[in-house]
Amino acid sequence: MSLLDFLDLIQTLLDGVMFGTTYALIGIGFTLIFGVMHKINLSYAAASIGAAYLSLMVASVAPSPIVYLVAALLGGVLGALVYFVCFRFLPLDKPLATLMSTVGMLLLMEEAIVHATAGMPLNYPAAFSGVVFDVGPFMLRGDLLFVFALGCAAMVGLKMLLEKTRLGLATRAVAQQPVAARLCGMGVDRTNASTFVIAGLLGGTAGAMTGAAIGVLSPLLTLPFTVKGLVVTVIGGLGSVPGAIIAGLLVGGAENLFQFLRGVSERDIYVMLMLFAFLVFRPGGLFAAPGGRD
Amino acid sequence: MKSISLRSALALLPVATALLAGTAQAQTREVKIYAFGAKSGVVRIFGLNSEAAMKAAAAQINKAGGVTLGDGAKARIAIEYLDDRCTAEEGINALRRIASQNDAFVAVGPTCSNVAEPVFGILQKKAGDASDSGLQFPIYTDVAAKGGLASMSQWAFRNVPSESNMYKSLFDWIKATRPEVKTIWGGVEKDFAHSNATFNVMKGHAEKAGFEVKGQSEWLLADTSFSTQVREMRRGEADLVMISAHPFTTCGVLKEMQRQNVKPKMMVGLTSSSSMETLQGCAAQAEGIIIPTSFAPVTPEAKRAADAVQALGANMDLHNAAAWENIFTLKDLIERAKIMAKPETVQADRQKMREALASMKETQGLLGKVGRTEDREAIKPFLFVRAQKGAWTVAHTPN
Amino acid sequence: MDFYLGLMQVIGVHTLLGLSAWCVLHTGQVSLAQGGFFAIGAYAAGMLTTMWGWPLGLALPVAAIVAGAIAVAVGFPALRVKGLMLVVATTAFAEIVRLVFFNFTWRVETPEGMVGPDGGLGFGGIRYFQSNGWTSTDVLTLIWALVAAVMLLLWWLDRSRIGTLWRAVGEDEVAAQSNGIDLTAAKVSAFGIGGAIAGIAGGLFSHTTTHIEHGNFSILLATFAIAYPILGGLKSLAGTLVAVVLIQGILIEGLRFLGDWRSLLFGALILLVMLVRPGGVLSAPLLARVAAGKAPKTKGPSIQGERRHA
Repeated sequence: MSLLDFLDLIQTLLDGVMFGTTYALIGIGFTLIFGVMHKINLSYAAASIGAAYLSLMVASVAPSPIVYLVAALLGGVLGALVYFVCFRFLPLDKPLATLMSTVGMLLLMEEAIVHATAGMPLNYPAAFSGVVFDVGPFMLRGDLLFVFALGCAAMVGLKMLLEKTRLGLATRAVAQQPVAARLCGMGVDRTNASTFVIAGLLGGTAGAMTGAAIGVLSPLLTLPFTVKGLVVTVIGGLGSVPGAIIAGLLVGGAENLFQFLRGVSERDIYVMLMLFAFLVFRPGGLFAAPGGRD
Repeated sequence: MKSISLRSALALLPVATALLAGTAQAQTREVKIYAFGAKSGVVRIFGLNSEAAMKAAAAQINKAGGVTLGDGAKARIAIEYLDDRCTAEEGINALRRIASQNDAFVAVGPTCSNVAEPVFGILQKKAGDASDSGLQFPIYTDVAAKGGLASMSQWAFRNVPSESNMYKSLFDWIKATRPEVKTIWGGVEKDFAHSNATFNVMKGHAEKAGFEVKGQSEWLLADTSFSTQVREMRRGEADLVMISAHPFTTCGVLKEMQRQNVKPKMMVGLTSSSSMETLQGCAAQAEGIIIPTSFAPVTPEAKRAADAVQALGANMDLHNAAAWENIFTLKDLIERAKIMAKPETVQADRQKMREALASMKETQGLLGKVGRTEDREAIKPFLFVRAQKGAWTVAHTPN
Repeated sequence: MDFYLGLMQVIGVHTLLGLSAWCVLHTGQVSLAQGGFFAIGAYAAGMLTTMWGWPLGLALPVAAIVAGAIAVAVGFPALRVKGLMLVVATTAFAEIVRLVFFNFTWRVETPEGMVGPDGGLGFGGIRYFQSNGWTSTDVLTLIWALVAAVMLLLWWLDRSRIGTLWRAVGEDEVAAQSNGIDLTAAKVSAFGIGGAIAGIAGGLFSHTTTHIEHGNFSILLATFAIAYPILGGLKSLAGTLVAVVLIQGILIEGLRFLGDWRSLLFGALILLVMLVRPGGVLSAPLLARVAAGKAPKTKGPSIQGERRHA
């Protein structure tokens, strides 16, 4: 491999890792909900993208930071909506029912987006889209760095929420031992709802950041991001937030690496095989969540 | 006296009723042209546009008196559009549903090439072949453009541009008018049948015209990150970049090219991307891209058609321009073949319609006369458009 | 008439797909891989009849065996994980299958020209039914004969010892294992049989649509596959059939008059069914549950009896 190729390889990896922040953000939401409720919310990525779409309503009057904020808030609203419609009233001993209800929600949200926009891609306000940093022979995209920074901030915020607040304590308690938590007087339903809202806030941010990184929003994004989010959740370890972060970056970088080495048609095959390798050799994921005793 | 007048009145009654019924029938005689295509899903704009264009065309025909049927009666044309959601099974179901109606003798559609291939596959291959149990129903396609599909069945006819002709002409023109452009780098959306197939066509003609295709970058239709591909492009340092992809990824690639400062001397795009979607997504980055197309509002008929469709809330582009043309062509064929459009004549009508479609030597298009090939495909007049300041302007009209 | 025959064909093929998922769901595993076995069966059967002129009567069983064998091979490593991880693993497998076919090109020269899978461009010309003069009724009879055979097989299996083993594994793995049931054997056998059934369904699919490509076998198809038994109710085979009729017959074709709103209704209706009948349409009647003192809509976990699926 010539030096140029080697530099290209490093650059590709860098690009991939930075883009992987978007995957990490979606993965965190999936893993958070799974860690607390032990249920999969397949509509999460769709809700995140949906929140970004909804935030476009203020795009013509507000600067981009406000648009991102609106996306995050709307994400929280959608999260609460998903909780109430898909989870709240379904019996807990029927996990398949919630699986299907979230599938129904995913289809509904995707169709709503397609209906409202006639399927056409919409421009999303990008932050620092023209900014490029030249670090030696490498080029770092300013907007991806911003997404990366924002993602890190969100993760730190989440960590502080989970460890330093009562709500965070309740969330972790319900995740580990729902029966005991209830006996301690914690409102399980309320905690679950707030988990969804928090995950939704993160999801809205993720949707906005994805839109900002790509520059356009399209309904084509929902299904691939759902799959990537699930892959990241599993590789990172179910229920582990730091795991989701690292897994997101890993998947982003690996994707670009495989593309560089084997081309775009085979790229995803190798990403999936990497997932299989994890499942065979490290089924708990990178950081297995602390197990409860129930 | 009274009894005579009463009897005469009674005698007149059946005559009066027959007359009334006759005129009523003549007034409300309706000929239905069915259509099917994608009205849901990511490509739903195609179906919505096609339906609007067909309805506008039908309205114009009806205003001018309608279509004359085989028995001399005038009828108005009604359009019924079924949604196939761009999936093979639903496309087949939609066609079967249409074929089971006793007022259906032709259908326009489908939108998606991946629906057209299975749908043409279930048709009878050779008309009159008793050993072939395929469906016997004529289809006149408006949008699905993957090359060579009409040759699959003698019941399939298409009014879609020949991308082979268009790109050959385009590259010949570029060679003639821009001698400083010698090398090409390609970009292709691999997992969509249309863009994949057309890229091979583009590449073939570019090479035949004397350009050197230095390489190609590939991506998938839902990809979001193109840094690797555009970096290859940058290293390639080609004079011309040709992109065979739909608006979503085309815009993604163009934006990345802007980021990495890749500024080729010329850019060429895929026919389907000469639409509003591209300009809405990345007008600034698409500035200067040249795309061959079979529609632009450059002739009086084209302008009138575009306005008529605009009045129904849709835009006219090369795809639904074909749908518009199809309705007018079908009107001519109905009259020429003397279609009766009665439930008892429906089998014969389908036969007649197929033969009429097969015997077409040329049809009237919005940009001029459209030739027909042996393979039931169309030879459409075309021109090259360029994206300029957020609109498509005519770059060149080949003769 | 031809339209209804065609619709019944589609319902038949999808019922087989749903039954293949039912098999696997019965042992308590959520598998999104049925779409992958469907694809394998579709390509295998299509290639055998189109490229080498095999009769359908041989091509279909071979397709089933190939799909079943691959299912068993994939089952051994995949079924070591459970719950969400299995969902993701099977999704990954289905995507790998789809991408392999996306890259798969193998064409041979026949009297009608070059035929065979052509990578991203798909595999067309699978006109076995049309070239051999099969009428819609003939095709319908074939499909429903197979559906009946498969349902009979599954019903018999369910009543036999194997069915009991499957259900035991589905209800409570720990208890089953403590009773000496070989978990792996039960899970892999269900997976394998499910894979074979999906292979048959795929073989029929490629022949009824005459052209297949990688885009037909997306995750959405796999989601449909598990939607049918879940919506229909896992306790009964007929539930799957009812769900297919509901979705394919009523939702997709019957609601055409709703125009564009049909697609929106789709997701909404799935949600609604799950909210009103979480056990599936053909699950225990609401009345019986109310009579037994349990409200059909539980407001939250009860202190006892809360079961968690990993």
